[in-house]
Amino acid sequence: MLLLFIAVLVTLCAGTWLAAWLDHLVPARSSGRSAGPLAPFRAAAATLVRPRIETEAPDRMIWRLAPGWYLALAAVGLSVVPFTSAGALLDSPVGIVIWGSCEALTIVTVFLHGWAPNAPFPLIGAYRYAAIGLPIMLPSMFVLIAAALPAESLSLLVVVESQSEVWNIVRQPLGLPLFLLVGLTLTLRGPFDFADSADIAGGTSAEDSGPGRALWQVARLAMLVSFSAVAATVFLAGPLGPVLPGPIWLWMKTAFVMALAVSLSHAVARTTPSRMLTVIWVVLLPLSFLHLLVAGVLAL
Amino acid sequence: MKPLFLIVLVLFAVWSGWRVFRVDSMVRASFSLLLSFIAVGVIAVILSAPYIGIATIFMMAVEMMVMAIFMVMFMMNPAGLNPMMMVHQHRFAIGAGLLGFAGLAAAVLTSDLPLAPVPPGKAVVADLGHELLGRSMLIFETAGVTLLATMVGAVILSARSGRFGAADEGSRPPGLAPGGEPAGRRPDESGGHTHHHGGHE
Repeated sequence: MLLLFIAVLVTLCAGTWLAAWLDHLVPARSSGRSAGPLAPFRAAAATLVRPRIETEAPDRMIWRLAPGWYLALAAVGLSVVPFTSAGALLDSPVGIVIWGSCEALTIVTVFLHGWAPNAPFPLIGAYRYAAIGLPIMLPSMFVLIAAALPAESLSLLVVVESQSEVWNIVRQPLGLPLFLLVGLTLTLRGPFDFADSADIAGGTSAEDSGPGRALWQVARLAMLVSFSAVAATVFLAGPLGPVLPGPIWLWMKTAFVMALAVSLSHAVARTTPSRMLTVIWVVLLPLSFLHLLVAGVLAL
Repeated sequence: MKPLFLIVLVLFAVWSGWRVFRVDSMVRASFSLLLSFIAVGVIAVILSAPYIGIATIFMMAVEMMVMAIFMVMFMMNPAGLNPMMMVHQHRFAIGAGLLGFAGLAAAVLTSDLPLAPVPPGKAVVADLGHELLGRSMLIFETAGVTLLATMVGAVILSARSGRFGAADEGSRPPGLAPGGEPAGRRPDESGGHTHHHGGHE
């Protein structure tokens, strides 16, 4: 139990650093500049020393707490992931539903983070994000239910066991690409960053500065770690693998999904929210429904 | 330990439920209600109903987000952060509240609650699935399809686009005083032509 607790904590911290470094590395590769492994710490230190911004009549409690909630949701999400075939820190028969709740509460948290400062750009970011985040929940649920079908269980441990012969990414090839889009939404990244994007001056974080901003950015990266670990568990069989021990396999697969998500977020352009809504409802939703149908027929 | 935790959760659920009516904004009210539902969900998990408990948290998070957006959308207070009174029709509300409390309390006191603890190895989630897709399937499917039809109908009714053109075409805002002049910009009777002719004179 203590070992699992330490594993979750170490994964969250190391993963956050790796995600931050990848975030510096990917744009640096295309521009030819170099980014060392210490670059994230320099950026964090620069953010921490900045003074805090005060807006007119904000909801201070929610504003201060939102980054903490985001980080807590990332931690809960990671604690349902099984690190070995023996179990997870939060061993529940409904692990997938717990992760789903973390996803839904993330949307609420990001909305509140933009609503609380009582300022125009954060509020625009908050509403835009809610409009995109709510429909993206549907593909997310369909994809996760499809992955639970061959296992006949909502427990992530059983989902891992069901992949001992063939991984879900082979059985359900559409699953990981669709789930990656969900991950981009949850971590406010690239084409799905309608909350904190540059076109509305930083959106929900436009009025953030100092420690609050630093914590919010850390929480975003931590959520990327949790999402990658869940994706690695559901589609890449998590801790299963030859020779090496389970946690090592999980870490390698998590890092792979994380690199995929980071490069995707830097490579794909963002479109307008209204066009993205059409893409979600007209393309992604039917696609995920088809995916669930095929997975269901195959599982029978 | 477990009973103490349960009591704390129950008190938190009641307190956050009470806050719904004391806060001064739709957004705060919605998410106070969400806190209450989260506490109820955790209580269900402790009472060996993991699926119902966690699904309550999941569904309510999505639902309260939708509710906050819709309430802000349909209220006169556009951003949802300006203070406003959250309660109205006091006498009726007090009566309905007391009646509701008495009814629910009577239901709790008169119903035959199970006392035997759930055995540890029992597959409660699978049992729930068999119940939902077995004996109770007709009820749940009927409710589900009715809700879906309601949602589709609500979207069609509130959409701007329609078979006979835009919904707000020719519509006028309500008057500032009862029976008075409509608020906002007055539509130009003859369109852009007046301006055009004005330029010639």
